[in-house]
Amino acid sequence: MRKFYLPVAIAALLLAFWFSPDAQEIAAGVAIFLFGMLMLEDGFKLFGGGILERLLERATSSTSRAILFGIVSTTLLQSSSLVSVITISFLSAGLISLIGGVGIIFGANIGTTTGAWLVAGLGLKVNIAAYAMPMIALSILLVFQKPKPLRGIGYALGGLGFLFLGIHHMKEGFEAFKDQIDLLRFALPGLLGLIVYTLLGTSATVIMQSSHATMVLILTALSAGQITYENALALAIGANIGTTITAIIGALGANFQGKRLALAHLIFNVATAAVALIFIAPLRDLVDAISATVGIGSDDYALKLAVFHTIFNTLGVALMLPFLNRLIGFIEQRIVEPVRDVSLPRYLNEAVDEFPQTLESALRQEVRHLYENAMELIMHGLNLHREQIFKSDNIAAEVRESRAAFDLDLEEVYERRVKTLYSAIVDFTTRVGDKQIPPEIAGNIYALRDVSSDIVQVVKSVKHLRKNVLRYTTRSQGTVTELYDGLRTEIARIVVEIRKLDLAPPEDRSALWLDQERAQIEVDARSTARRVDALIRTGKMNATAATSFLNDSGYAYAAMRGLIDAARSYYIARDLAIAEVESLLTLDEDELGEARAASGSSSNPDRDHGGRKNVIEDG
Amino acid sequence: MGLKKLVEKVEDYNERLQRGKASKIKPSDVQKVLTKLHKKKAELEVAIASSRRADKKERLKTKLGIVTEQIKRAEWLVAEID
Repeated sequence: MRKFYLPVAIAALLLAFWFSPDAQEIAAGVAIFLFGMLMLEDGFKLFGGGILERLLERATSSTSRAILFGIVSTTLLQSSSLVSVITISFLSAGLISLIGGVGIIFGANIGTTTGAWLVAGLGLKVNIAAYAMPMIALSILLVFQKPKPLRGIGYALGGLGFLFLGIHHMKEGFEAFKDQIDLLRFALPGLLGLIVYTLLGTSATVIMQSSHATMVLILTALSAGQITYENALALAIGANIGTTITAIIGALGANFQGKRLALAHLIFNVATAAVALIFIAPLRDLVDAISATVGIGSDDYALKLAVFHTIFNTLGVALMLPFLNRLIGFIEQRIVEPVRDVSLPRYLNEAVDEFPQTLESALRQEVRHLYENAMELIMHGLNLHREQIFKSDNIAAEVRESRAAFDLDLEEVYERRVKTLYSAIVDFTTRVGDKQIPPEIAGNIYALRDVSSDIVQVVKSVKHLRKNVLRYTTRSQGTVTELYDGLRTEIARIVVEIRKLDLAPPEDRSALWLDQERAQIEVDARSTARRVDALIRTGKMNATAATSFLNDSGYAYAAMRGLIDAARSYYIARDLAIAEVESLLTLDEDELGEARAASGSSSNPDRDHGGRKNVIEDG
Repeated sequence: MGLKKLVEKVEDYNERLQRGKASKIKPSDVQKVLTKLHKKKAELEVAIASSRRADKKERLKTKLGIVTEQIKRAEWLVAEID
């Protein structure tokens, strides 16, 4: 199908140009208009600097706010398609809820009606080409400036100029066209006209992927007397159905949530169109009544079409709002959340590629997914149950009781659940590196890639430890078992502390807490080394066994430091100034040593990590 | 414990700030971090008081020493940038 689309479209255009040279002006008008829309979008993206995306994150706290956001953003951007694509992207990245996303789509349907008002009220009544030329000429000066806001304004101004120019050429084209061919000959009255022209409106919008462009075509054709008012109403209804194609295409690369939103958009627009078609006669009467009230002439069909467009879209929202929760329930039933395969990336899909904010958010969640998989593997690699460790008040005792070996092929699980995700993260960050994104977001993205690298290194360290954990901790063998239990306990404590950090409310949480864990790691590392020295000196451990243990403790402490580094980067404050403060206050190794000494912390060589010796146990 | 390294870090930060490579810190930003640190310190003190195991007490005291040092540095920083 796709293979034939382009040649057929080109052939159809060439054929139309051959039959009527004036069709060229109409087609060029549409092309210039669409080009203007693209420029306007680019301009807003540059000028906005992510304002739209930041607002969107906060816009979905209630349905009414979401609808208002949809109305305002679509009015400003003059593109409901762009708003739909942004919404799908944010929904796929998990930044907004499905109900909030549907609210935005509802609002976008109302916001898009302002386009018809602009064209019918201004574009067809004023010689807008006279404004278009200076706008385009001025815009190019701004487009070549270095500051992004100026370039953004340049693109937006140029886009608006091209929109005006496109409307002008469509208008001129239809005026000239009517002298050659009278399209009114193809007018179809009654039900057949309604159905045929609705389908035509849908097809035209699917082809141009812009209901706004279709509406401008309808309005210019209507104003040139090339289509009847009745047929224009049906075309406008069809355009509303056709506009869902952009969301459907956008959702193809999205996750299940994005697909749900596209389905909601389709259901909403088809239902609204069905209501409008069924009640077309009373709606037309209502338009006449409203037009007469606000002073629109009875033969000003372009403005009356704008009134109709607004009424039926607003009516659609009013009708669907009471059923919003049912609609969401139905969609959630139809598109079921797929059973989570923990070995596959969950958040890094094509839909999040569009915007810097969604890139970072999706990556952050994927890194967390990697951490969860890695943590399960690390704990099982040490023969520990995460849940039992998390709920324990005495981790050392819990570790001592964990003697059963996990039936685990660590290498296979590493390949399947860790390496696949890590590869996806590296691929993603490499792809993102080719995009032009704000430096602070690029910095965060590379920091998150480093976090995943740290996590993978921790798993590799535990892989090295696994052999001797199995040899020495599945049954008590005296001192050597105590030593390995000590390492297992210390790693488990770090995992527990990272979990506490994760569970803490963001307003209370600080990456500085991890300095306390770093200090403890160094205390424990020294204490372990001294204890091994003492064991060798007293002949309780031979040099070979000691060397083997010291190698393993090297891996264990590397794992602990890796976990702390990863957590510090992951949980560093999102507010750049606060992150800077935390970075200034964090203590380096020497300062940690001094702080430990000042607090009188002992590094007792006989201290038992397992808590068995020299420890006064609670009853 | 001296604040020599913190002074060096702040000098480095000021240089980065002048080059537009760092975010401007306001006293309120440091206050926010201080509030979190004081809260953590209070939690640790309660935990130390209620802990009956010697090893746990020792670990918590190490942590308390670090957070006390961080508070000292944050108080110096807030005065420095005020």
